[in-house]
Amino acid sequence: MKLSFIVKSLAGAAAMVAMAGPALAAAQSAPSPVSLKGDVMLEKTVTENGVSKVELVEPKVVIPGDHLLFTTRYHNEGKQAVTNFVVTNPLPSAVALSSDAAPGTEVSVDGGKTWGQLGSLKVPAKEGGERTATATDVTHVRWTIPAIAPGASGEVQYHGIVR
Amino acid sequence: MNTYITPLRRAAGIAGCSLVALSVTAPFADSAHATGVLAGTLIENTATATYQTGTTTGTVVSNKVTVKVDELLDVAVATLSTAPATANSEPAVLIYSVTNSGNGPEAFNLAADPKVSGNAFDGTIKSVVLDSNNNGVYDPGVDTVLTTGSLATPLLAPDKSVKVFVLVTLPVGATDAQTSQVRLTATAQTGSGTPGTSFAGKGEGGGDAVVGLTTASANSLAALIASLANITLTKSATILDPFGTAKPVPGAVVTYSLAAKVTGSGSLDGLHVVDTIPAGTTYVPGSLKLDSAALTDAADGDAGTGGASGIDVALGKVSGGTTRNVVFAVKIN
Repeated sequence: MKLSFIVKSLAGAAAMVAMAGPALAAAQSAPSPVSLKGDVMLEKTVTENGVSKVELVEPKVVIPGDHLLFTTRYHNEGKQAVTNFVVTNPLPSAVALSSDAAPGTEVSVDGGKTWGQLGSLKVPAKEGGERTATATDVTHVRWTIPAIAPGASGEVQYHGIVR
Repeated sequence: MNTYITPLRRAAGIAGCSLVALSVTAPFADSAHATGVLAGTLIENTATATYQTGTTTGTVVSNKVTVKVDELLDVAVATLSTAPATANSEPAVLIYSVTNSGNGPEAFNLAADPKVSGNAFDGTIKSVVLDSNNNGVYDPGVDTVLTTGSLATPLLAPDKSVKVFVLVTLPVGATDAQTSQVRLTATAQTGSGTPGTSFAGKGEGGGDAVVGLTTASANSLAALIASLANITLTKSATILDPFGTAKPVPGAVVTYSLAAKVTGSGSLDGLHVVDTIPAGTTYVPGSLKLDSAALTDAADGDAGTGGASGIDVALGKVSGGTTRNVVFAVKIN
């Protein structure tokens, strides 16, 4: 098997139960009002008539150097607004954050202890002292969404390169 | 749907960071490989979110998405010989290295081709040998001679290389100082071809194997030079008669000089200068000399013997560009 792609999640299943029967969901111990669903696609650059464009395809074959787009979709299935919604995503060790990640993505280069803009973070340098962190030093990315209205949904994404 | 890629308040995220601090990753654990993440590695991504609803806080974890890294087929071949290897009566030993630059274990088929454009002569491949003890030197009887028909490296781990010796003999007709090249090609056993070609299910860990930018086949040229030697033997004579002149009369002494001139970049081994005593003459005892140094007539420690049956001087190994002179005298009866 070249790819195991786990589509169904526990969180998703819980959300479906909640949608099917609110009374049943209420009887359970505090089901999450928000569902979180991860996805990954392979970014394939195709050139047609001299114009390059990026296509998203199923990651059937993935090799070092390939670009992956990780997406996490959220959906507030509850009746109340959700606030201070912080999505944190540790990078798989085999994936480096793509340097073309959108500026402003908040990142950590120390396993999630400290956070900031990529250009403001430092890492220990091989030759001693420290240097400005680069995209390949990133260990975690995160996004903060101030509020999600009931029924609202959205997604957060990061681009990675297979090391 | 909105797509958030911008950060918002940092303060709001502090709760989130404490949740994921347990999954500290070692980002460079896999990057030690020049060739990238090992084939079969699972890339697993999970996101976690924290939030507030009213006064309560909650946490939700996403499903885990998993992608398996497929095997990249790549290879590099380099020549380790810095100068052309010498071929004479012994074969030239050409040294190459074959490196698995892919990300999975792979064996490579080897092919040595002595026919290269521009060759003064095409050598003859005697054998292809693996440097079993990895010392960079061909050790006859120690290093593994590959069987014709199954010329291949062993399974090489990613980034690992093996040295390969190709033994090349000179063909008939090669002359001194001529050079020739031999091409060693290594090709991934799983498959090769246009970059991006994939072989379903053939990769390490059950994934696919994908041809990398090297086309999974690479080659390198190594040179050999013919080092041969030739010998010319020139015989001259001077006569001294009892009257102080140069007449070939009975009693006159004839001094023969044999010049053995070796030319070429190679050398000749086991060389002997042998001559007979002409009829009607008698060997002059003690007259034998090599390069002006006297030799005894007896078969003893020195290089020569002399007597009625003739002379024999062993020159041993003589390098090109050297001339050895053997002198002996006979008296006309």
